[in-house]
Amino acid sequence: MSPLSPDTLTSRPADAAEKTFDAPGTTDVPATEPVLALHDVRITDRVTDREIVHGVTFELTPGKAVGIVGESGSGKTLTCRAALGILPPHFEVAGGRIDLAGTDIATLTPRQWTDLRGATISAVFQDPASYLNPAIKVGAQIAEVIRVKQGLKRRAARRRAVELLGAVRLRDPELVYGQYPYELSGGMLQRVLIAAAIAVEPRALVADEATTALDVTVQAEILDLLAELRERTGLALVVVSHDLAVVAHLCDEVLVMRQGEVVEQGETHAVLHDPQHDYTRLLIAEHDSYGLDKFLAPKEAS
Amino acid sequence: MVRRVLALTSGRIAVVILAAIALLALLGPWLAPQNPLATSDNALAAVSGTHWLGTDYLGRDVFSRLLDGSRISVLGSLEVALVALVVGAVPGILSVYLGRAFEWFTLRIADTLVALPFLLFAIAVIALLGNGLTQAMLVTGVLVSPLFYRVSRAATLAVARSPYVEAAIVSGASVGWIVRRHVWTKVLPPIAVALAQTIGVGFVIVSSLTFLGIGVQPPEPTWGGLLASDLGYLSHRPWAPVAPALLIMVTVWACNLLADAIRDVSGEAGRALANDRKARANRREAAAGPHPAGGSR
Amino acid sequence: MTTTEPQVTSARRRGVAVARTRHASARVLAVLARSVAIFVPVFLVATFVTFALRSLSGLSPARIQLGEDATPEAIGRIEAEWGLDKPFLAQYWDWFTGVLHGELGTSWVNGADISTLIGLGLGVSLSVATFALVIGVLVGFLLGTVAALRRTTPIDRAITGFVTVISVMPAFVVGIVLVAILAVGLGLFPSAGYIPAEQGIGPWLAHITLPALALSFDVIADVARQLRSSLIGAYQENYVTGAVVRGLSPRRIFFGHVLRNGLGPTLATLGQKFPALVGASVVTEWIFGLQGFGRFANDSAQAGDVPAVQGVLVVSIALVVSFNLIINLVLARVMPASQRGV
Repeated sequence: MSPLSPDTLTSRPADAAEKTFDAPGTTDVPATEPVLALHDVRITDRVTDREIVHGVTFELTPGKAVGIVGESGSGKTLTCRAALGILPPHFEVAGGRIDLAGTDIATLTPRQWTDLRGATISAVFQDPASYLNPAIKVGAQIAEVIRVKQGLKRRAARRRAVELLGAVRLRDPELVYGQYPYELSGGMLQRVLIAAAIAVEPRALVADEATTALDVTVQAEILDLLAELRERTGLALVVVSHDLAVVAHLCDEVLVMRQGEVVEQGETHAVLHDPQHDYTRLLIAEHDSYGLDKFLAPKEAS
Repeated sequence: MVRRVLALTSGRIAVVILAAIALLALLGPWLAPQNPLATSDNALAAVSGTHWLGTDYLGRDVFSRLLDGSRISVLGSLEVALVALVVGAVPGILSVYLGRAFEWFTLRIADTLVALPFLLFAIAVIALLGNGLTQAMLVTGVLVSPLFYRVSRAATLAVARSPYVEAAIVSGASVGWIVRRHVWTKVLPPIAVALAQTIGVGFVIVSSLTFLGIGVQPPEPTWGGLLASDLGYLSHRPWAPVAPALLIMVTVWACNLLADAIRDVSGEAGRALANDRKARANRREAAAGPHPAGGSR
Repeated sequence: MTTTEPQVTSARRRGVAVARTRHASARVLAVLARSVAIFVPVFLVATFVTFALRSLSGLSPARIQLGEDATPEAIGRIEAEWGLDKPFLAQYWDWFTGVLHGELGTSWVNGADISTLIGLGLGVSLSVATFALVIGVLVGFLLGTVAALRRTTPIDRAITGFVTVISVMPAFVVGIVLVAILAVGLGLFPSAGYIPAEQGIGPWLAHITLPALALSFDVIADVARQLRSSLIGAYQENYVTGAVVRGLSPRRIFFGHVLRNGLGPTLATLGQKFPALVGASVVTEWIFGLQGFGRFANDSAQAGDVPAVQGVLVVSIALVVSFNLIINLVLARVMPASQRGV
């Protein structure tokens, strides 16, 4: 593991610092104001005219981490995608409101969305390989984001991308920079994806099942990386997982979703120790029988 | 499969057109109102009651020549398709089962044949091996056979390596049953698609050759030949090429339409199409409603 | 680009850079090697078949030069002159080594050097074919892209309909229509003939535009259709979502990601299209009275000039093979994923 240089993630090269963005997200807002706030968000499928998500509410202040747990089809991914403005075709936010850095996203123009994404909110997903262009070197894909969003010159963007690859603890970032997605393993790809997501220092990061397909040990490493990013840079996290352990590892607040409904919501500690809803109890019971402490073991070992 | 193809509007249109063309080929010579070879002094006549499509530079009735010429085009294109089917599909299916040497050899041959400009080869072969459309179509059939080779090989490979065939073998099904139940249903549709496409390609090739006057003796009417003779008299009868050109285009189009229809109703693609239709209908509905936030795609 | 960073000069980093350039050139070499491995057998088999045509045809230069009622001695003498009394494989070997040296033999009909004759016609044909490819790729590209971007709208349906119509129009039909409307009807273009580019670009373009248009329809249809479907396919890929989430603009996503990946299948289609283009040149050159490669092929075939026909076929195969080689190299450049041995 290459040691993390403390200034890697916060320093911007001088020529970029002067460039300002008129995106709503980058204007100064009080630290207490939430980066992302969902209020009673309802999502419907226009085809069947059915409501899929029945009212999700949470606030994400800088440095905070909110977890959403639930089985597949419970609406957790749709909720996140709504917050990112990338709902699949024929799904729409039918009720409630989503504020991103103080702006109602319903009022955003496509142009504003482009400016906000990456700079204010970003995301990583399950199956990282598919979220990178197979025909372009991974380093170039990160450098592209930096060049476009921060206006850096080619060479400076390249240097920064290599720094980022080092910051997500990829061994030999120089080498990885020049590799294609199919040459990297799943864990490495997820690191690359995280590096691309945090390249222009967003204030919030959505991690949608980001560790699901990975080996248990790699999963723990990625979770540690996210925790560290949050601690050091004040990155706010939305962690979506079907795995209670993942959420427990990272989050202050948990939402338990089932069939589009938030069945339980509260502080992680409180929810884990005093679950109110049967479904939450079931999830915890499953972990008890299959080892909720499995994520604790590597922690103690280190 | 036939019934499902006919259930599609496009499939019905294609079948009706092709059936009409086939009827023309069968009955054309009898349907022709006048002798297609009889010349008259009434050369380059305009469209009239006696000459529905006018007359050509020797005063022959164009409509009759068109009807009479359909036979050569239809027979020629069928020959191309059937030769290609036999020459391509048989080794294609066998290449999966007969071992690596055979596989390598047939793959190389297929690579070679695709690289040959078939119109040039067809011309060369006719000229050198005897002036007959039959030989030319035989050669053309061989040259376009890699399509069948590839298609049937891919389908057979997919079947041979699929878990459900393995499962059937493990559970003790007979080879004959497996072939009937699984191999046929997977391999036949792509071959049928290729056949329909190849008939269309055959039409173009036959018309091209007859247009150049290759493979047929001069007085005999062909669609391509009609176009070629029209070319010299464009300033007198600028509309003359329309009828034979349209006939060729409609036939080729019907073949492609049929190929698409077969592809649509068979297998995965069929299901995808059905879903796509549904989605499109929904989208049309949705277009009336408000747009979702941030559709930046 | 890595070696241009002066401040980082560690040996290890230089090692990485070297490794990367080696990586890239190795990739090009691998593509070349694989393409050659495919094309050498293709060329061998094709030339053999081509050569075997003479034996199968039973044609002989004696018939052409002496007529039908020649004495057997005279025929034998002439055949010996042409080396036709040797064993078949020896003849093939002589001919094949000649082909490798660029010598395609002499014509039976007039004793002229076939390489020279083909060279004369090739200029015309290549002008037309290249122009047709340019038109086909540009227009097809435009139509396919617009249709994909305006998917399921009336624009898309109109383009798809147009493409369907032109895809069923054989080159000679297009040619006749163009002559009838643009040359005979409106008199905008000369209806036949050719003027080399050295005698003026304007007249040259005027003479090759109609034949090139006639040939291009097929290319337009194929490029537009393939590009439309592969662009639509690419837009459904997750990496597009990934790029959206990273905050890249729709335009950048289209040009930098979607188009780049959608181009591969389109290029491959173009490679497969080329033999048909060469073949169709026979028809267009006939219509437009061009003394090109295709016309030469037709005339030689009709005259029973076997060496000339063989020469034409060899050149056409060489054209197809080299065109595909270029396509393969470009493909490897555009989509390195194809290196995984698909």
